[in-house]
Amino acid sequence: MAAIKAGFKSFDEAAGGLEMQKIYSLIGNKESGKEEFLYKLVSSALSSKTPVVYVTTSRSYSDLINEFNSRHLPVSQYLGADFMIFDDFSKISSPNAQDTNYAKILNGPLDLTGLSVALSAADGNYLKEGRSVFNVIDSVSNLLVYSNPSTIFRFLQFICGRSKMSGATTLFSLDSEMHPPEVTETIKSMSDGVISLKLDNGARYFTFTGSTKEILKWTELN
Amino acid sequence: MGDPVFGIEKLDKDLKGIPEKKLVLFSASPSVGNEVFGYQLIYNNIKAGSKVLLLLNRTSPDAYLGDMEDYGFPVENKLTILDSYSSITGVIPTGKPHIISVDNPYNKDEVFHKLLSELDKGYDLLVVDSFSLLIDFFDFQTGLSLLEDIKKKLEEKNTSGVILFTDWNYEAKSIDSLIKAVNSTVEIKGVEKRVIFGQYFAVIKCDWTEGKTFSSVLFKAVKPGGIKIYFPKILVTGPTDSGKSSFIHSASKDAVSVDKLGGTIALDHGNLEFDGYKADLFGTPGQERFDPLLKLLGGEAIGVFLIVDSTKPEQFPRAIEMLRKTEAYGLPIVVVANKADLKGALSLKEVEEKLHLDNEIGLVQTVAEDLSKVDPNQPTKLKKEGVDKALSLLFKQLT
Repeated sequence: MAAIKAGFKSFDEAAGGLEMQKIYSLIGNKESGKEEFLYKLVSSALSSKTPVVYVTTSRSYSDLINEFNSRHLPVSQYLGADFMIFDDFSKISSPNAQDTNYAKILNGPLDLTGLSVALSAADGNYLKEGRSVFNVIDSVSNLLVYSNPSTIFRFLQFICGRSKMSGATTLFSLDSEMHPPEVTETIKSMSDGVISLKLDNGARYFTFTGSTKEILKWTELN
Repeated sequence: MGDPVFGIEKLDKDLKGIPEKKLVLFSASPSVGNEVFGYQLIYNNIKAGSKVLLLLNRTSPDAYLGDMEDYGFPVENKLTILDSYSSITGVIPTGKPHIISVDNPYNKDEVFHKLLSELDKGYDLLVVDSFSLLIDFFDFQTGLSLLEDIKKKLEEKNTSGVILFTDWNYEAKSIDSLIKAVNSTVEIKGVEKRVIFGQYFAVIKCDWTEGKTFSSVLFKAVKPGGIKIYFPKILVTGPTDSGKSSFIHSASKDAVSVDKLGGTIALDHGNLEFDGYKADLFGTPGQERFDPLLKLLGGEAIGVFLIVDSTKPEQFPRAIEMLRKTEAYGLPIVVVANKADLKGALSLKEVEEKLHLDNEIGLVQTVAEDLSKVDPNQPTKLKKEGVDKALSLLFKQLT
């Protein structure tokens, strides 16, 4: 099955990337390097012509683009046709923020219906073009700040179902330190594959469970 | 001034507005959304001079009013909003007398008390957006008990009520109790397969219309314009001279072609009625020079007939390309292998193999009714059997 390369040599050599049309969780604490991993993964997906819908709940779409740029992972050339950003953050402080041709401004983290409608429509539009999309929800932890866990679980279950139906690949990013272990475990159980990251003595390590090539031992990410 | 209205012609025609003291539930599936029903309803009632109160917990008042405006429903300061959202984010609109703030939206006593005492001031219509969020904040039982209090208040004050709700797969028992608690329920759902290729609403309950039954209707939420009911569009595409016009003319009662010397250069269209279904067929031209039109013609289609000439497998890649260009991938598709009775025609199995079709895609052979009457400059009448089989296969996928 086709896979999205993560852009990290050790990860791609050992795991072969992320098999498409599956659900993944990316889990780690603040220092674990989740963002670095995620941005490289998205950049790699785009360069291999996989369209990406990126849901940002913790920063505006323009800040997100700056994050890519500051890591020398330019994404500007993909914005629009291949790279759509669903900004679920800006309306909190700027209620009149307007959509652009590559950024859809959603109502904010409480309006899960708005998010699910927008994601279902975007995945459907890519599928109609015969393309399988990569959805990133960055991050589920932020959604959990505003709604109780059972609400978020119901929402994620729905997203998983639609993702499977439309042949999309979906990744949930989660900060393990922000939630009780049972919340993290429930989100892991909804995923086909779980990528865990950690920082140890200045080096970053990963495990990858649930994939065809599981990496159960902490392996340095480089 | 009469009773509040839905502001959606079909609902107002069927249900004759929302009588006072009645509570209506709009229950939507999470992939479809129901907010535009709320916008349209609020706008039309305010326009008719009604006093409307909105309990809002889904987004900020400014974002809500901005979205209403984008849909073409500006209400300026005429809508009173009980804002049960802003203090969560810390950005509270100030100096707007039509916006009443809830200090702590997670405190049910405050939310419920402010709502009920605001209703005491006398409104024609209450709208709650969203009731599912209220349930998620507290719990289903608490939501139902608030509903009982709301109903008492509506009764007392001769007010009508509408609650917008997303069904996030709650327990069936809870949903039953909710539907029992309201006077009318309008369900809003997607026509979903791999993609959502249509959305519809249906009145599944109404206690003031005495045993009347209602049909469901397809709709689109248009910006600006709001809820528009529309008729389904089925696309007929395929390479040049594969028989698209013949198929449309054979399947429809009143087909027309815009053509020149036999080859369709712009459009085939036909209305068909089959087995209780009504649909519009839209044909595409086959020549490559008209490819820029394909996406336009494919827009809003909910199903596709892909017509191929069984004697010309060399055109099959072009057929798949046309499917891609109409952006019809993911929609229900039936492949019609036409000219199956001509010399050199491939068998169904061979067509299937050469097109690399998914198992889910239907495949049907069609042949001319009378080969001796075939005129290359006119659509050929196809045998009813094959055409009916193709229609039946597609409608089966659509329903």
